[in-house]
Order: sequence, then structure tokens, then C-alpha cells
Amino acid sequence: MPNWSRLQTNSFLECNARDRAVGLVDEGSFVELGGPFDRLVSPHLVALGEAVENDDGIVTGVGRIGARPVFVISQEGRFIGGSVGEVGGAKMVGIIDMAIEFNDRLVAEYPDLPASARPLVAISFETGGVRLHEANAGLLAHAEVMDALQRARHKVPVVALIGSRIGCFGGMGFVAAATDAIVMSEFGRLGLTGPEVIEQEMGKDEFDASNRALVYRTTGGRHKYVMGDANFLVDDSVAAFRAQLAELCALPVASFEAMRRIGSPELVEKQLRGVALAAELKPDDARDVWRHAGNNDPVGLADGPLADFRKSVRRLAL
Amino acid sequence: METLLGQGRAAIDLIVDAGSFTEGTVGARTFEDPDFGPGAVVGTALLEGETVTVIASDAEAFNEKFPVVYSGIIGLEEGYKMAQAVYATLAADAEKEAAKKRAIVLIVDTPGNGPGKVEEIFGMNKATGAYQLALAEARLAGHPIVAMVVGRAISGAFLCHGLQADRILSLTSEFQTMIHVMPITSVSRIIKKDVELLEELAKANPVFAAGPAFFFKLGGVEQLVETIDGMRPAIAAQIADIRKAKSDAKALTGPRGRGALGAERGGRTVRPTVQALLRTEFAAVEDRFRPQAG
Repeated sequence: MPNWSRLQTNSFLECNARDRAVGLVDEGSFVELGGPFDRLVSPHLVALGEAVENDDGIVTGVGRIGARPVFVISQEGRFIGGSVGEVGGAKMVGIIDMAIEFNDRLVAEYPDLPASARPLVAISFETGGVRLHEANAGLLAHAEVMDALQRARHKVPVVALIGSRIGCFGGMGFVAAATDAIVMSEFGRLGLTGPEVIEQEMGKDEFDASNRALVYRTTGGRHKYVMGDANFLVDDSVAAFRAQLAELCALPVASFEAMRRIGSPELVEKQLRGVALAAELKPDDARDVWRHAGNNDPVGLADGPLADFRKSVRRLAL
Repeated sequence: METLLGQGRAAIDLIVDAGSFTEGTVGARTFEDPDFGPGAVVGTALLEGETVTVIASDAEAFNEKFPVVYSGIIGLEEGYKMAQAVYATLAADAEKEAAKKRAIVLIVDTPGNGPGKVEEIFGMNKATGAYQLALAEARLAGHPIVAMVVGRAISGAFLCHGLQADRILSLTSEFQTMIHVMPITSVSRIIKKDVELLEELAKANPVFAAGPAFFFKLGGVEQLVETIDGMRPAIAAQIADIRKAKSDAKALTGPRGRGALGAERGGRTVRPTVQALLRTEFAAVEDRFRPQAG
């Protein structure tokens, strides 16, 4: 196991999936479930003669933050881009299900159990979605994860943490959108269609996927914070993500409803006000939306230090 | 052989009772603006005499406000409009007992989610996610949901419009139905394996091959339908069977039901093993995570 105290000061961006899983929860509390010794490898990669990982690129387990059991899912972008196949998807669904079942058992036994001692799920995303080597199984697994998130509603809060290299795209982009709260760093990226595919669809003049600044302006943490899609924008360290998660661990599940983007008729109406704004503004660039939200100098705001950004940014009100 | 690909509106008329489809009305809600989410068709119909909500895609429609939406693509407006139709269905039957809640029929022919810059700036992931959560909520509340694949059921669009249903039916591939994440030629290019090798492997392992027959083997499609006329009775029979399954605590429908079916049909066999192992390992350490005395 990695040294917990040393992990805290590490860049979250540079951390692998296991470091993130261990570092997010209290020191010494993380127990890996379905770890490498279980050799849960993808049979489909074996059939193709591809290299496998003994955890299939997803670290799953349970730890504690204070009294709260935190069920952790952490995706490894260094293994086939963090893509999700049959085994990885089954691990994700299994962890969410177990958190719900454990919550139900605890609440039945201890009706007065405070929120801060009830299970919570934390998902550290680093993925482009479906693993093409086993595409159909990966697709079906995504549907099961969405179903599990709906089953968790009003019982177990699910928190998304996005600040790793690959970002969070494809089918996992809407899985993240369906969680209760989203914590990002400025290096995190969240979307559905990756930059290369947009360029392919629209042409390089409309969207140049090699323009890193443009890509970050469209799907990066600062932009998603302006849009309200990210609830919290934290520094790029394990300690900062952990501190935000710990703050959320104090809250009852009902308090998470106000952080959601989607999941009720009222929230759909709210999002549609954003869609109407999109049709009206026809933004060429995310900066146009920042300006509309009341940020007069979007360029300066995007380039300045994160602390200044957090202090002065105006977020879009819908 | 005939095909319904690209003909979502015609498919509605072939599936529901003759002349029974009322577009733009679901329960108390009406969708009056013809320019709002034109790629999504929502309304109410009768299916063998039972009231159902119908949600389909119109491949002929073009969304003037969001030019990436054509050919049945689900864009920002379309995803939210489909979600609204589901919420209107929930509201309409909110007072009814679970067994009496109306069915939702998803007619599936969609090539993708809106792939654009504006879509990413505003968050296309939320629109498609919103629709899926609404469907999952309706399914868990007791509404039987049947998806009928009549054309294209591609990747994220199929996740959005189809894979949250209780049961999924598909016309066989003679009708040019397509179910896949990516054609095998594209998979081959990206994962750098010869098409011939992939096609050979696909005979034994359906996980990356395209088409309804492979999804059937994986448990991703419950039933294949061999004739156009066979769709209505097959959907009606599924609705009745789903109602029965929902009243039985042990019977699984929806994504989990298809997970179990994947193991049964031999297409996805490791999934249950993985989940059983996680449970066993957690049981061994559970006490550490229970409320501590004192």
C-alpha cells in the first residue's frame, strides 16, 4: 500500500487509481474488494490475445471518512484508457449495490443512525466509456450502472470526482452527470463526445481538437464550474479532493438533491432554460457563455490562478 | 426485404392500434411547439386496447436550432423532451397502483447523440442522462417499458433510448436493423486487429460483433421479432409478462434482467462471479464499517 500521508500532497492528476482510492479515505481504512490477487481479468481481452490487468483497470473497495463507510470506485486511465468492459462494469455495479444494501441493513438496525455514519459512494472517473474490445458487454454494463444510480437515489449519496488525465467521456460522461454531486479540478474534463470526434463531425474550422486551450474551455473543470455542472472546483491535490469529499460526508442524502443537475422534472425544466440560451447565444466558444454569465474578461479569468478564479467567477444562473 | 430504418413515424402506425396515436399529448402534458426537439416524437396511443406512451425518433426531422440533429440523432432538446414525456407518464398514473400504470413503448431507430461543440459547451451528457434516469425511475415505479428496435440502435443513443427498458425486442437483421457500438471495421482499425480475425472470433464470442443476433446471445435483447406484423402482439405479450415479473420480487427485468440473461445464454458469464466475489469479501470485513460502540 502507498504511504498515505505522502499521497495527500500528491497531484491528483498524477495519481494512479489505487493511490486515489487509498488517499481519498481515512488513513489505513481502505480495504480493496476484487483486488489484483483475485485476478478478475477480462476474458474478452484474453480471447483477443491482448494484455490484461488483474483488476481490469478499476479499483474497488471500501474505506471510512470519520464514521461514514465510503464505497470507492476508481478508474485507471493507464489501462486501455480507463475503458469499461464486462468485469469493470460488474465491479462498479457491485459496489453501488452493496452500498445500497449495507445502507438498508444499517438503517433497519439503527433507525436513528446519523447521516455521517451511513454509506456513501465515491467514484473517481478516468475513462472514455465503453471498451471497444468488448464493446457490446461494455455498453450493457453502462446501462446497469445508470440503473444502479437511480436505485441509490434518496438512500446513498453518490459523489463524482473528476481530475485525472483521460477525463470522463462517452457513456461514463452521462453516468457522472447522473451522480448527486460532482467535484472537479481545473484539469478534469467532462463531456459526452470527445474532441477528436467533434472535429471529425464538424470540421477543423469549427473545432480543432489539437487546440488544448479550446478543448479545456469546452469541457474542462473551470468551464463546468461556470455552467453549474461541477458543484465544486478544488485544487489539484489528493488532500483537496479528500477535504471536499469529507465535507460532503457530513451531509444527509436529502441535502444532495439541491446539488443535482438532472433527475427530476424540475431539473429538466431548468436544463431546458440552458438549452434555450444555447439556441439564442449560438456560442462559438465557451467564452461567450462565460461573458453572458457576467464575466467581462473571460480570457483573463481562464488564464489566472485558480484561487483568483474561484473568488471572482460569476456562475451561470438558470 | 422491407425495412423501417429511417421511418420512425411509419413504425409507430405499424405498431399501435390503427389510428390511435395522438402526437404531442402525454397525460396532462402537451408539447405544442413544433420546433421543440423535432427529432423526438412523443405521444399517447392504444396497443391492443391499452393506453401506452410512445417515444420514437423522426429521421426526417431537422432541428433548425441545433444543426447536428438530423437522421434521428438525439440532441439536447430531444433528450430533455423524451425525459419530459416519461415524467408526464409518471405524473399521469401517480395515483394508480403499480399494476395499473401504463406502459411506455420506445421505438428505436437512432444513430447517435448530438456530437457538437455547442452540445459539449452546454452538456449533452446531461440531456441523455436525464432521459435515462427518468426511464429508470418509471420502470422502478412499475411502468412496463418495452423497447422495439426497428432500425438503428447505436452505442450511446441506444443506451439513452432503449437500454433502460424492462425488455428489448428487435426486428431481425433481414430488416436492416443495426445494433452496435461501432461497425466491426472501425473496431478493427482502433484496436488494431484484423477484421478477418475479429469476424472469426465473433462466431464464438459475441462481445464486439454488430447485429441483433449477437445482442440476443449476450442477453442484450430479450426477443427477436421476424415479421413487421409480429411486432404488436410481441410487444403486448411482453407488457403482460413484465407486469407479472414486476409483481414477483425475484423476477428481474431491465438492465439487471439482461445481465442474468447474458449468463444464461452464455454471452456474459463473468459478471455474476465478479459480483458474488465482491459480496463475499465485503461480508468478511463488514464489521469494521458498522457503527462503533461507544
